[in-house]
Amino acid sequence: MALRSQLLKGVLDACVMAVIDEQPVYGYELSQKLQKIGLPDISDGTIYPVLLRLQKNGFIKGEMKPSASGPNRKYYFLTNEGKKELEQISSEWLQIAHPVSQLLKRSEKDEKSNGVN
Amino acid sequence: MRKATELIEENNRKRELLNVENEKIYTDVLQYVRTDLRVGEQAAEELLMDLLDHLIEAQENGKEAQDLFGNSFEAYADELIANMPAENKRNILVLFSTGILGLAGWFALSYGIINGMISIFTPVDNEFALGSVFLILLSLILVGILGIFVIFRVIRFSVFKPKVNEWKVYVLSGLFGMVGFAFVVGVGLFFDGIGPVIQIQWWVLLLAGLVLLGINKGVSRLSIN
Repeated sequence: MALRSQLLKGVLDACVMAVIDEQPVYGYELSQKLQKIGLPDISDGTIYPVLLRLQKNGFIKGEMKPSASGPNRKYYFLTNEGKKELEQISSEWLQIAHPVSQLLKRSEKDEKSNGVN
Repeated sequence: MRKATELIEENNRKRELLNVENEKIYTDVLQYVRTDLRVGEQAAEELLMDLLDHLIEAQENGKEAQDLFGNSFEAYADELIANMPAENKRNILVLFSTGILGLAGWFALSYGIINGMISIFTPVDNEFALGSVFLILLSLILVGILGIFVIFRVIRFSVFKPKVNEWKVYVLSGLFGMVGFAFVVGVGLFFDGIGPVIQIQWWVLLLAGLVLLGINKGVSRLSIN
């Protein structure tokens, strides 16, 4: 299962970095945005281990700023290293995403036609 | 970036905004993260503030703590800790030295005050066997360090458990306090009169205590965030 969780981690990291790249966000805002995009499972609690990991690797940085709704919040920014990492993951992902989903769709059809599930 | 102490104060204030249930769960997570000695204090307080802000906002939108922390709070807290930067070595050294300086400082200060007060009524014994004093201080440090480990362990063990276990925490901590105290007193009695004996007046002890505590304050500023 190690490979599977590594894969998921990579995808999660990329999603979080992509949102932050659009605009610096604070934690709650980030979870809301992920939810809106259609990723409800990687919202709320799941984002904090990811944010910590990205900070530890130097891909993102937190900075206190007054938020639109009033109190000061810790906003997350992408660092230059983070931007490079995001580009790298994005290009790797785009290379495999289409063929993999085509393949998985095909095998799903096969299973259905074979009467499995 | 705000300092850890400021974050702790703000955390105490903001925590009151949580409802009873969320506050209980959040406090458990907070205690569990804070008592993990591997985790950097600054990073821990920043994360705890983020989680608190998140929980307050989620609560306003009708969500519960489970939406943030999942169903296994302990597993979630462990996952957070695994992804956090370790405490800086220099900070560990600062924490260790301030602990020892503080202990020695308070020891000298209280001894000086007690001797000073007694000397008003009756002449006091100002003789100190340096070897014995050193051994007593050493045993105090040992008990202090062990105490931090034991009490943190007990807290971590009792956190996330039902309230029934709370009395065990008090009994265990109290028991440790008694054993520790008895150990230090025992060392003092057993190793009495070891090493060269010198005369120290009560006001010298009091001054030494104040100086040690002053140095302690200076050293505690050396930790980096």
